[in-house]
This record gives sequence, C-alpha cells and structure tokens, in this order.
Amino acid sequence: MASKEPDHEHREDEEAPAAEDEDTGAQVAPIVKLEEVAVSTGEENEDTILDLKSKLYRFDKEANQWKERGAGTVKLLKHKETGKVRLVMRQSKTLKICANHLVLPTMTVQEHAGNDKSCLWHASDFADGELKDELFCIRFASVENCKTFMEMFQEVAESQNPKEENKDASAAAESLEKLSVEDKKAEDKAGEEKAVATKEEKETEVDTTEKADSEKKDGETASST
Amino acid sequence: MALPNQQTVDYPSFKLVIVGDGGTGKTTFVKRHLTGEFEKKYEPTIGVEVHPLDFFTNCGKIRFYCWDTAGQEKFGGLRDGYYIHGQCAIIMFDVTARLTYKNVPTWHRDLCRVCENIPIVLCGNKVDVKNRQVKAKQVTFHRKKNLQYYEISAKSNYNFEKPFLYLARKLAGDPNLHFVESPALAPPEVHIDLAAQQQHEAELAAAASQPLPDDDDDAFE
Repeated sequence: MASKEPDHEHREDEEAPAAEDEDTGAQVAPIVKLEEVAVSTGEENEDTILDLKSKLYRFDKEANQWKERGAGTVKLLKHKETGKVRLVMRQSKTLKICANHLVLPTMTVQEHAGNDKSCLWHASDFADGELKDELFCIRFASVENCKTFMEMFQEVAESQNPKEENKDASAAAESLEKLSVEDKKAEDKAGEEKAVATKEEKETEVDTTEKADSEKKDGETASST
Repeated sequence: MALPNQQTVDYPSFKLVIVGDGGTGKTTFVKRHLTGEFEKKYEPTIGVEVHPLDFFTNCGKIRFYCWDTAGQEKFGGLRDGYYIHGQCAIIMFDVTARLTYKNVPTWHRDLCRVCENIPIVLCGNKVDVKNRQVKAKQVTFHRKKNLQYYEISAKSNYNFEKPFLYLARKLAGDPNLHFVESPALAPPEVHIDLAAQQQHEAELAAAASQPLPDDDDDAFE
C-alpha cells in the first residue's frame, strides 16, 4: 500500500495539486479491527421528490448573521405510507446530515432580499437528534433551481395543510368532513395566499384527506445535479 | 482518547493531535467539520481544545477526539500531555506563508518524540488563495518522513474529508473504508401555535435582509 509511485505527470505543473491518491505514508500497524456493517440511510421508506445541489446557512441570532451549515444535496423526501414530507440535507463527501425536518403547513418559504438564488424559512430541526429552532437559508447555483425549490416546498407545505384558518376548530373540522378530495384540491389553489392555518387538534381527522391529496402528487419529481 | 470529563462512547474512538504554526487554520478546519461554518476571524487557540468529531463509515461509526492545539508559542510550547497517547496526527501549514512550512520539521520532531509510529497527515491549507508562497511541488517533507500529504482548503472544502478518511483507513488497516450516509432519523412531530408562527415570521423578515457570507461561489463542494 505504501509503495512509492513515480511522480505523476501533472506533478510537473506548479499549479496542479499533488497527486491525490498517492500514498506516501509509512506502514503503520492498524490499532482496531472493524467489520463491515449494514448501512441505513434512514430514507428507505421515502421517495425523493426533489434533489438539488445547494449551500445551507443557519441564522445566528446572537451574532445577527448567517453562518454556513453545509454544502451538498438537499432533498425533499415523501414517506411512502404516511405521505409526510421532510427536508433532508447532507454535506457532500462526509455525507453527514446538516438539516432534517418535517415540512409543515405552518411553514412559509420566502426569498432572500439580497440574493435571488436564495430563500429562507423556519424549522424545528432534528439534524443532531434533538429538536432545535432554526432559521435556514439555502442558496442554489441558479435562480431557476431556487424557484423550483420554493414552489415545491410551498406546495408540499400546503398539501399537508388542514386548509382552514381554524381559529374555530370545530367549524374547521365540520367543513373538512364535507370536502371531497376533488373539492379540496381545487380549494388548495384558491387558498394559497391565506394558507397559514394552524393545525390545532385536527391532525388525526385530517390524516385521511391529507394522504389522498398527497398521493395525487406522486411522481412530481424535480431533479437536478 | 477522551478527556476525563468527556463521555466515552461505545464505538471506536481515536485521539487525533492537530499541530502546526498559529494561523494555519487548525481551529477553522475542525470547526468547519463540527458545525459547517467557516470562521474568518482569527482568535488564537490557548492551550488545547478537544472536540469529538464523528464519522459514519461502511464499518460503523467512528470518533476522532480532535486535540486542536495552540500554534502560537507565546501561549506556551506544547506540553507532552497534548501528544501523549496520540493515535494519529495532522500537521498543518499555510501554503500562503512560507515560514509555516519551514516549521513543519519542528512540529514533526516534537510529535514523534512522544508518538511513535502513528499515521500522520501533512496538510497544506488555504490552497483556494491565488498567491501561494508554497507551491505543490515545493512540498517534499512528507516524502522524506513518510507522511501522507493533502492540499486542502477549509474555505472551499477542497479535500477537506481526505485527512480523516486517510487516518481512518490506516487505523483500521482497511484501504476500502469509506464514508456512508448517516441514518436520517424521522423527526418527531412538532406543534407550532399561532403565536410562535408569527414570531418565526418576524424573525424571518429581519433575517431576509442580512447578507449571506461569501455568496459568490457556486461549486458547493
């Protein structure tokens, strides 16, 4: 392994980086024996409905500034059974998780004022295995990708939506029962602007319509590299 | 190896000693891996800071206890205690500052006095900077002393995973070891009430006008 290879061609070039895969290290005895293990991404029961290269930032409230969180691939993943959608972002190369949160009807995504390739939102993030309130901002390579992301994010958030500005929870529940899936879909579009309803205690009742609604959106997959 | 007050873990962990002149980017490099952020501001490390850093591999989770040491001599030469029981090491220099490369042999000598036969990676940091003082082909020390060499940039993330990957492979004696996706656990349900939601929206509105750090590169490495 530690055999010295002759200089690679591009080593002659001053600006070229050193031959990367050349191992010039000494032979050292390993100090642990590790066995290959089964690898789980935790994403096995989900479909990828969006997959884009990006850079993620989190807002440091104390310093009042954005700080980098990671650069890699952001995905929207839709659960095959529950229809729930979450955002998962991994750092490239190390494949560590930089963001992991559900997309909820209470979320809105908005453009960054100074950068039209970027947008931001609030989430309860579970990247470290504990819930943390975060303001996230994400930057894409193009305005187009940013737009794709924002549209998909907003659409998903609304598809998880009980649809009512349910300050009056019982009225909301009643009208939900009346809605057929088709009607609901139509109302989706009409109600986009005011879709800021809170979920209240309606989650279980809403589940069936949610699922039906979200199933209709299967196959709408955006992808880019 | 953990500090006495640090929790131990049930998966393999290694003491990694990181040395090199002050300002070469040791702390920034470690912080980049820990939180993703890139710290521009220079605050010299005093003594040592130990940070646990986990990686997921095809052979399970592993941890490096990164002993991020003070590079500046005025904060005291490194005591043997920093090196003792070191199982692997990174020696860092700054390709934009020739003196930091000239001092590499001294760091190597000090390290090897305490730690014999451990895998060592020499890192030439800041290769994103246009005006390098130390060119790739001028770096020869690793050949004389049988170290692995990587050109890295904590700023652009160029090769930033390579030192850890190399050390992990050597420590496990497995040249095929590689990083894998860590399991993305299902986030628990959260309930956001209207008051919280309004607060988040106010915070978003304020944050939307704050500029992003270095928003000019689109490589996303």
